[in-house]
Parts: sequence; structure tokens; C-alpha cells
Amino acid sequence: MALLEISNLEAFYGKARSLHGVSLNIEPGKIVAIIGPNGAGKSTLLDSIMGITTTTGSVKFDGQEIRAQSPALNVKAGIGYAPERGNLFPFMGVKDNLLVGAYTSRDKIDENLRMVFDLFPVLEQRQTQETGTQSGGERQMVSLGRALMTSPKLLLVDEPTIGLAPKVCLDIAAALKKLNEETGLTIVITEQNVNFAMSLAQELHVLETGELRLSGTVDELQGEDYIKQAYFGA
Amino acid sequence: MLSDPGMRKYLVGWALFGVALLLFPQVATSGTLRIFIFANFIAIFAMSWDILSGRTGYISFGHPFLIGIAAYTSAMLTYHLQTPLYFSIPLGVIATMVGGTLFFLPALRIRGTYFALVTLAFMELMYQLTQVMRPDITGGTRGLSGLPTLLTGALPNYYLSSAVMFVIAFCLWLLIRTRLGTALSAISMDEDAVKSSGLDTTKLKLFAFMVSAFVAGVGGTLYVHYLGSIAPRAIFDINFLFTILIAALLGGASTIIGPIMGAFFLTFLLEYLRPYIPGTERYFIYGSIALIVYVLEPKGLHHIIQRLYGALMRGKQA
Repeated sequence: MALLEISNLEAFYGKARSLHGVSLNIEPGKIVAIIGPNGAGKSTLLDSIMGITTTTGSVKFDGQEIRAQSPALNVKAGIGYAPERGNLFPFMGVKDNLLVGAYTSRDKIDENLRMVFDLFPVLEQRQTQETGTQSGGERQMVSLGRALMTSPKLLLVDEPTIGLAPKVCLDIAAALKKLNEETGLTIVITEQNVNFAMSLAQELHVLETGELRLSGTVDELQGEDYIKQAYFGA
Repeated sequence: MLSDPGMRKYLVGWALFGVALLLFPQVATSGTLRIFIFANFIAIFAMSWDILSGRTGYISFGHPFLIGIAAYTSAMLTYHLQTPLYFSIPLGVIATMVGGTLFFLPALRIRGTYFALVTLAFMELMYQLTQVMRPDITGGTRGLSGLPTLLTGALPNYYLSSAVMFVIAFCLWLLIRTRLGTALSAISMDEDAVKSSGLDTTKLKLFAFMVSAFVAGVGGTLYVHYLGSIAPRAIFDINFLFTILIAALLGGASTIIGPIMGAFFLTFLLEYLRPYIPGTERYFIYGSIALIVYVLEPKGLHHIIQRLYGALMRGKQA
């Protein structure tokens, strides 16, 4: 059974519809990438799964309908969300930022904190540094760490490499792969950086103007003419 | 708690503050103590404002509304029904928490300027209502006077107001050091990120509001039974509102000691200016000082003192 089943999902900002009948299944233990240009609806899709936007259709997590459920309940159910790195608490230290994520998993605070610090050792050294003064890469690590503090079964990561140096992108990719391999965590990332997405994910979905255009494994989509033309300029 | 050296340092600071409050009457005149009492009340109101607005970022312009509900409830109960103060004061606090929730809770769904304006409207609404709705009970424009006081004399009132201010400040300080306090602060920085971390921000805001209303209620009831009178213009007044706001912002919002510092600075400044500028022009002076401090250091007096202390310590080490 799929861990996440999305059927005919539509999302709205007021009267404007930004997702048009999106349907996809995410199998447990996989890394899945949603790729697409700016304005494709990638962040809206993750927000819709989390219950942050107004939606119609169906979103089932672990067999339970969660569409229109509050974000707090979705996190409790086991969905961790790492929004773009700007969504940190800039005047709070690294550790406090991480602890805000620990409310739904209070019995595992020490264990999760250890896991985050093992994954991103730089955060352990800078526990009291205000995140507003950190580099983009470090802020992305805090964002991922805060989502991991919720003990998720499914981790949603919104554009983890946006504006980051290639070296930092590799570090983030390595951390996500390690998490997936060692803990079996299911991960969904959204990306504009198709090379990054292909290097990390086992399955790709192409989202454009709110609609799913293509889906398949990396091998299947690598040869697609549309992908070559639209994302690699071939 | 005591094993943490950082925490021990803070607790020593609190102990010294408590001792200073205890010993202050030994060196102060009765007049100074009366200014101090007023500063204590402003500090209580500023802390109450700060726990809601400074922490969560929901800027309330209607705080006198909360203070007024408690003050009027207790005043009317004692004036008309001769209710003993030990009943009327808790009832006033409960009335603020319940009545305030009915008005503020729907308003907490809106953000930013709209929230500020709606809460300002609450204050103005209450001002009008106390004058026109059953003036035989509220006392109308003139309000109520001859209310019973808890204590008489500057010294007992100084100790009472200082003790209440100290206990409230210490309890709020302990509260903000919990993870709940951290979450409240996070709301002001990014409410959506708090939601996506699995926290119910409506419950958190309600909690902040209830704490704020409780403190405002305690302050409001004690204030009215210190003064022995109440009038709509004394409570639901824009100058009173700005004194509370500026005390919190000038001292340093989102801190506990900041609103206390701001309250004492403002109150003593206004009182010491009185012989030279007896009219409302004094507010121009304090407004200017507040503006200068706020432009130079938006984190307030508390941060300026912290920086000076840091520089002093570094100088000693060098």
C-alpha cells in the first residue's frame, strides 16, 4: 500500500486554482522528487498535503484521509515538513529552532537531537547561534533538522538546494540519502535543479502550471525528449 | 535548574532585584514611593501587553479594555454590592479572562494592522459603553469614587505593588524559559512555520492571551483599589495605552526585564519633568526620547544596558 495517496487534488488561493487534479502515489521507503519551474505549484502541493492551503480531492496518509486536516494533526500523524529556508525563526538559536519541531515527539527529543547533530555536525557546534546570522546552507540544515525532530514517517522538503553552492547541495543530498538508507524514511522533495533531483530520487514527477505532466523513474525520464528540451536545453 | 551556571546567574540577579525592592524604602521618601507604586502598575500592564504582543507579534491596541473590565467589575461589585475585596478582585480577574476571550479570540484570527485596529476599537467601544450604558451602575462619565482600598499609606502599598510586580515578572520569566515560551516567541517570527512544525497556533495564542488577561486583570483590580476611584477617561485612554506600549517597547519587547525598565524610566521621567513642564507637553519629551532610543536600538534599553555590560566585562578581561 502506498504511504501517501493523492487523488484529483486541487488547491485554491481565493478563487484562483493553482493545482489541477493532481494524482500520485508515494511508496514507503522511497525518495521521490517533484520537479518543475517557478510557479508550477510544487510548494503548493506540499502545503496542500500539510493542510495549509484550501483544497478539494483526496489525500490519504497511511490509509487515513488527511485532506483538510490541520497541519498540527498531520505532523502528529507522521508528516515532517521542511519549508524553504526562509521559514526559520531568525532571532532564535539553532537548538531552540530545532526544539520548536519537537512538540509532537516529546519522548524522543534527546534521540532526535542526537540524530540531527550526527547528520549535520556543524549545527551541534553552533547550537546557540541565531539562525538569522547563519549561511544559506546551515539554515537549510536547521530547516531539515526541525522537520526531523517531529519523528516523521514521511519527510517533505521544499526546494532544498535553492540558492546554495554546489558543494552544499552535495552535502544536503548525502544527508537525505543517508537518512533514507539507514532509517527507511520516505522523502518527497520539490526541485528546480533537475540534476540534483535525478541524482537523489528514485522516482520523478514533473509538475507544470499545476498539472502533472510526466511521471516515471530516473532512467525512464532521463531519455525523455521533453525533459531534455525543457530542462537541459538540448 | 540550580546546577546550570547560566541559570544560577539569573537567579542571583532575581534575588538581588528582590532585595533591592525590599530595601528601597529605607532610602526613599514617601513621594518617591508613590511614584514607584505607579511605576509598578505600569510595569505589570507592560508585561501583560508584552506576553501577548511582544511574544506573539499580535500588537494589541486594546489593552486598557482588558484592564478596564477587571477594574470596573471589581469597582462596581464593591461600590454597589459591598462585596469584600477578596471576592471582587478574583471576580474582576475572571471577568477579564472570560470577557476578554469573547472579544479577543475571534480577533486573533486576523493579523497585523487589522488586529491592532480591531483591538483599538474594543477600547473605544468600552469607553463609550461605560458612559452611556447604565450610568447608574458604571458611574457614567464621572465614574465611581470612594471605592475601598486594600491598604492605606505609601509604604504598605509600595510593598504590595512591588511584591505583585516581582511575582508576576518571575513567573513570566520562568514561563518563557519553557518550550511553551519558545513556541510563543516563534509565532511572532513565522506563524506558518510554527504550524508546519505541528503546533496548534490557535491554542498557543489563546494561552498567551489568557496569561496576558490574567496579569492585566490582577493589575487592573489592584490599581483601582489603590486609587479608590475609576473613570472611563482614566482607563480607556489613548495616553494610558501609549504609556503601556512605549514602556514595553522602550525597555525591550519580548523580554521580562525590558517592560519593567521601560515602565520605571517613563514614570520617573514624567514625574521629574512635572515641575518644569506641568502640562501634557511632557508627553512630547518622552515621545521624543522613546523615538530616539527606538531608532538607535530597536531592542530597547535592556539591550543597550546588556551591550554596555558586555563591553565593560570585555574591558576588564583585556
